Amino acid sequence: MTAGDLDLDACSREPIHIPGTIQPHGMLLAFSGGSDPVLIRASANAAPALRLPLDEAPGQPLERALHPLIAAPLRSFLAAGPVPSRPVPVALADLPGAGRHQLLAHAVRDAVGGGAVILELERLDGLETGLLDHVYPRMREALERLDALNTPRDLLTCAAREVRALTGFDRVLIYRFDADWHGTVVAEDGNGRLPSYMDLRFPASDIPTQARELYRLNRQRLIPDAGYAPVPLVPAGAEPLDLSFSVLRSVSPVHVAYMRNMETASSMSVSILLHGALWGLVSCHHREPKAASYAVRSACDLIAQILSVRIAAVEDRRDAEHRIALQAIQARLLAAMAQADPFIAGLAERPDDLLRFANATGAAVVFERRCTLVGDTPTEEQVRGLVDWLAAQGEPERFETDSLPALYPPAAAFEGKAAGLLAIAVSKLHASYVLWFRPEVVRTVRWGGDPRKPLDRDGQRLHPRASFETWKETVRHRAQPWSAAERDTAAALRHAVIGIVLRKAEELAALSRELARSNKELESFSYSVSHDLRAPFRHIVGYAELLQELESGRLSATGKRYLDTIVDAANSAGTLVDNLLHFSQMGRSELTPVAVDMNALLAEVRETLAPETAGRAIAWDVAPLPTVRGDPVMMRLVLQNLLSNAIKYTRGREPARIAVGCEDRPGEILFFVRDNGVGFNQAYEKKLFGVFQRLHRNEEFEGIGIGLANVRRAVDRHGGRTWAEGRLDDGATFFFTLPKAGAAKPDPRDLQERSEA
Amino acid sequence: MSDLKPILLVEDNPRDLELTLAALDKCQLANDVIVARDGEEALRMLTRRDPETGKPTQLPAVVLLDLKLPKIDGLEVLERVKNDPETRHVPIVMLTASREESDLVRSYRLGVNAFVVKPVDFKAFFEAIRDLGAFWAILNEPPVGCARRPAGIPSAGKGA
Repeated sequence: MTAGDLDLDACSREPIHIPGTIQPHGMLLAFSGGSDPVLIRASANAAPALRLPLDEAPGQPLERALHPLIAAPLRSFLAAGPVPSRPVPVALADLPGAGRHQLLAHAVRDAVGGGAVILELERLDGLETGLLDHVYPRMREALERLDALNTPRDLLTCAAREVRALTGFDRVLIYRFDADWHGTVVAEDGNGRLPSYMDLRFPASDIPTQARELYRLNRQRLIPDAGYAPVPLVPAGAEPLDLSFSVLRSVSPVHVAYMRNMETASSMSVSILLHGALWGLVSCHHREPKAASYAVRSACDLIAQILSVRIAAVEDRRDAEHRIALQAIQARLLAAMAQADPFIAGLAERPDDLLRFANATGAAVVFERRCTLVGDTPTEEQVRGLVDWLAAQGEPERFETDSLPALYPPAAAFEGKAAGLLAIAVSKLHASYVLWFRPEVVRTVRWGGDPRKPLDRDGQRLHPRASFETWKETVRHRAQPWSAAERDTAAALRHAVIGIVLRKAEELAALSRELARSNKELESFSYSVSHDLRAPFRHIVGYAELLQELESGRLSATGKRYLDTIVDAANSAGTLVDNLLHFSQMGRSELTPVAVDMNALLAEVRETLAPETAGRAIAWDVAPLPTVRGDPVMMRLVLQNLLSNAIKYTRGREPARIAVGCEDRPGEILFFVRDNGVGFNQAYEKKLFGVFQRLHRNEEFEGIGIGLANVRRAVDRHGGRTWAEGRLDDGATFFFTLPKAGAAKPDPRDLQERSEA
Repeated sequence: MSDLKPILLVEDNPRDLELTLAALDKCQLANDVIVARDGEEALRMLTRRDPETGKPTQLPAVVLLDLKLPKIDGLEVLERVKNDPETRHVPIVMLTASREESDLVRSYRLGVNAFVVKPVDFKAFFEAIRDLGAFWAILNEPPVGCARRPAGIPSAGKGA
């Protein structure tokens, strides 16, 4: 806390509604209530209004105490009915030797709860033009001009101009309070004799709570001469008189000091209320002492109240228009999403809409670990960190703050881009969010008064520049708060996005139900193939062989060949069915991943293939292979098929060369089997891995064309990829990869073992 | 021959029956082969009791049991035989065209002694039957005082 803060705190505790003094531009008289009023207090300068000397008048009845020019109109005013609680005009009175005065009266509760009437006599010297008949036509013109305007800025500017025209002050400012009671100068009209404070910010502490409450209750205040000498009330020491609504009430010394520092001798303010709450202030200043009549003040008050209603209406309409515009933006964003894949990427395809949607300077779309940045944002790494933190907050559907660094300290590093954060969660399964950013507000504020000019702090605490500095401190690390409309539309967008996510999920669920059903059908089909189709082939083979045995003596050579062909054909049909079944079984069976030592597995497979290599000269080149996590049966099948192919298709090469190797790549391990065999035309690469696809005639190389299909299926099941490179008659290389982590199997044991591998 | 236990073949498909019998014949086993055409018939043969002793009258040396059978299927026959203290020692070999894993697993759980997927290749089938027959019908339990039938006499009794 600074010394300045302490000063203002003292100010906020000061009982400013019972100062016990008034300003000297008028006189104050207080009477007890009831039918026989008695003078109970008088200001020390009230002699011209009294019949008795000042020290004798208190305690005397009205007619005895007061000058007849005052007593008569007051008596008839009191007779006319109850006295209002706010000052109302009673009469004009020309007091001998003291000039013309406006008489204003209002009722207060005295200290013991009884009624009292306060009569104030405001000097009207030289203010003939301040009378109602002069003011009214100008006021009506002002209201007509206001009525013709439709933007808040125009309305505010016009009101400032009209108030200055009515009052003749050097400068008229209009302040507006925000939700935290920080103020901003939103309009200004001046003649250049006083500095411009347009866009000035001042902290809530500049106008303490109870001062704001007084502004709310008592809408007008005039300080014609800040250098005034306060006039005490007599008799002194009596119960304090509540001067909350007094027009002459003395003001806080803090305020006077503030005016002195602003180099203004006089000030007038009119509160702007909206729906009973303080909306802002019209604040008028003059270099020299200057007054404004009750009629002029009332005219300004009317302008201020009409201004607030007009602005509220204009802003309501703008808000409605803004919401409609936001809906149009939302519709465009949704349309973009409908055509994008993944749909959420559609948001980033309309960067302007995405930013305008939340009136943000930056945005990020994070979906299933993909991160897209739009506008002025923190780095992708910072955004990812932020998203992780958000996800750890228990997955709120919507998150908003105007002071992210206070909640998430790492944000201090990028508060110039994202001191404010509005985020919506668009998926519960993944940490998926749409985020909007706003920079620290201090960085966005301009002030004509050059806030960068060094502040001379000595004795300058109560100065607009100090206010600006204080205000900057209070909003440091903060962004412009997110408005209700922005929060609502973000929630609506989330709703729409979630709707899409849900619909997609439902479609997926329906699809997977359909898949499960057709898989089951396929399974039962496989079963019946297994049981029913194999039997006839078995019978053909069996009977043909029996026939061969029984009748071979009587068959011609051609007949025997026919029978052999029947047996061969039926045998290969049977093998085909068996292989097909095996293939389908591989798709269905559960993976049982364990650590598989590929070196050992390769050695085993080579051993089982030994019969096929018998009598062949094969130059093997086998690199050390890692241990992977996989299904051992499937891994064996992969190696067996690839090696068997390599052996088969190098037949006739002298020497045949077969190389097996691997490569550690980011996220995966690549294996390959390379041979110098007959190769293939790369154009047919896609066909290689299909079921029953063959690139060679059976006479050249036996086989049924399911081996590589099995390889692909086994590798697919592990989340890996398969492909081949080859040239006709110039060897072939078959590749497959196994993922190291995450993608296929999010089982943490996988990650561990792979990283150990 | 009566003291040489028969082989019980349970098979509903007439072609498979004929081929299996041919294979058994080629194996030149001394044992009679009794055939049951469905599970019910097989169970009737396996549970026939002597009215006086209450003991089974004639238990086979081995049962070659097809998995898919009319009325009572192979798995149920297996289960009942293996659950009956009087018959549970009778070796049962499951013959089937199916590769269904669950059948295999269930068969083993029920106490099957062997499980053979009938190969398409007749020669392989013949070899399988020969091995099975030799193992279960002769080597496993050589009946006392019974010699193998001399080679070259192609005759295996064929029960109803």
